[in-house]
Amino acid sequence: MSHVDDGNLHAYLDGELPATEAHDLEAHVAQCRECRVRLDEERALIARADELLGLAAPPDRAMPPFRPGDREPPVRLWWRVRLPLAWAATVVLALGAGLYLGSGARARRQEPVAQNSGDVATTRALPAPAAPEPAAAPPVAPRQMQRVRSAPAAPTTVGGERKAAVQEKATEQVVTDGASGAVALRHDSAVAQRERAELAPSAFKATAAPVVARTVGPYSVAGPPITLDSARALVGTTPYAVPDLPVRGIYRGRMFGSLALVVVRQALDSSTVIDVITGRYRPLSLDAVVVAGAARPETTDFSERARLGRARDSIAPAPGAQRTAAPAPAPGPARGAFADRPAAALVVEVRGPVPTDSLAALQRRLAPLRP
Amino acid sequence: MPDDLADVYRTTYHALVRFLYRKVWSAERAEDLAQEAFARALVHKPENTRGWLFVVAANMARDEARRAARERRHLTLLKSEPPTSAPPSDEVLHTEGERSQVRAALEQLTPRDREVLLLWDSGLSYDEIAAQTGLARGAIGTTLARARRRLVEAFDARKTGEHVARG
Repeated sequence: MSHVDDGNLHAYLDGELPATEAHDLEAHVAQCRECRVRLDEERALIARADELLGLAAPPDRAMPPFRPGDREPPVRLWWRVRLPLAWAATVVLALGAGLYLGSGARARRQEPVAQNSGDVATTRALPAPAAPEPAAAPPVAPRQMQRVRSAPAAPTTVGGERKAAVQEKATEQVVTDGASGAVALRHDSAVAQRERAELAPSAFKATAAPVVARTVGPYSVAGPPITLDSARALVGTTPYAVPDLPVRGIYRGRMFGSLALVVVRQALDSSTVIDVITGRYRPLSLDAVVVAGAARPETTDFSERARLGRARDSIAPAPGAQRTAAPAPAPGPARGAFADRPAAALVVEVRGPVPTDSLAALQRRLAPLRP
Repeated sequence: MPDDLADVYRTTYHALVRFLYRKVWSAERAEDLAQEAFARALVHKPENTRGWLFVVAANMARDEARRAARERRHLTLLKSEPPTSAPPSDEVLHTEGERSQVRAALEQLTPRDREVLLLWDSGLSYDEIAAQTGLARGAIGTTLARARRRLVEAFDARKTGEHVARG
């Protein structure tokens, strides 16, 4: 019988040689002095290798409890659930408002056309620039129609105007710009002027901007780099970054549903750039939006209020807008409704063209940016 | 399935950390990556959980090493001095010395020899190592014999070289 090779010796010593082969090996070693010596040598070699590997072992630490599920950061959860919800709500509201506007315009077109077809003609001739935002043109057009038509009766005019305002709130800022443009056409009415001032609080303006960013992507960077101090003022805290990575720049960011967003752009290496996003999000306050429009019953005559009621009723069947029917015309101003909201949640996230693992690892390293 | 995974966790966690530690050389990172591997197993529900964990861990360690190298390269570019400028103190050398000697010796092995040795040292059987590395089961003993011999030789050579340099 030939001598045992090293591989079999090691497998035997490791207890991994199949039983029959192990038996043969033992039989051979029993009569082969040379292989007995080699067996002892290999046994010593294994012991020495194990000893060396033991020198390079991690410290013996307690096993952490098995909770891999806990490691998912809540940030991600928010992002996955809330954004689609907000999207869905926006679409539902826009559809509902569009349907209502369409039906209202159709119903009305029938009554005055017989007595005053000239007005309709005028309406059609209204110049497009009245709506500064082209995207908002379809919902604005029927409103212009009804306004011009009802011009002879002043109180109804104010009512129509206010109703239009309610509708534009219902469509959730999408037509805000168009509406203020329409209101601007009526310089003669002091009521309309006051309405414009009250109905366009800065909060709505602030949330209107990211609507544009939605088509670009989840977020976008706006304007030139800003200073760290500006960034702090923007999000009310020091923006986060990956320590030890060079900062290419700090930018104001825009993202759907967010009020304030800072993007710290960092270089991972010469060709890879990551964005660390620090933002304060606030879910869209749908009920607050509608209450704002219906919030002044004291200046509303009875028929107008009835119509406001109809407006809400016609929107109500849409699931996303269900809540909007609930608050009665409460006399609280829009700003108050916003101020009552809980503090906006701080969200920090790394984005970049690197594998998800790497993003997760970077995410773990995040720390407030040091100047 | 989660119950099974909890069992595997109990029996394999330390082995996985040990395996990862020899790749990333940081106990914290090794533990993080081990946790991450188990978290992924929870999602993927692999059939051979134990073997799957080691495959995933090896991949994560490789990605980690690549990124670390990239970051090191970049930091080197940023700093005016090379990172190796400050020599560690004697104390650090003494405690870190043997570990880094073993690390250096391990790095002299071929990737395949090193992988087989580390997998065996982490508690995998020949069958598991064969399944993971694609080697024939009969070749594992030979590979281990070679890996162990080279590790000891490389370590001893470094020791001797060090003594010669000091003496």
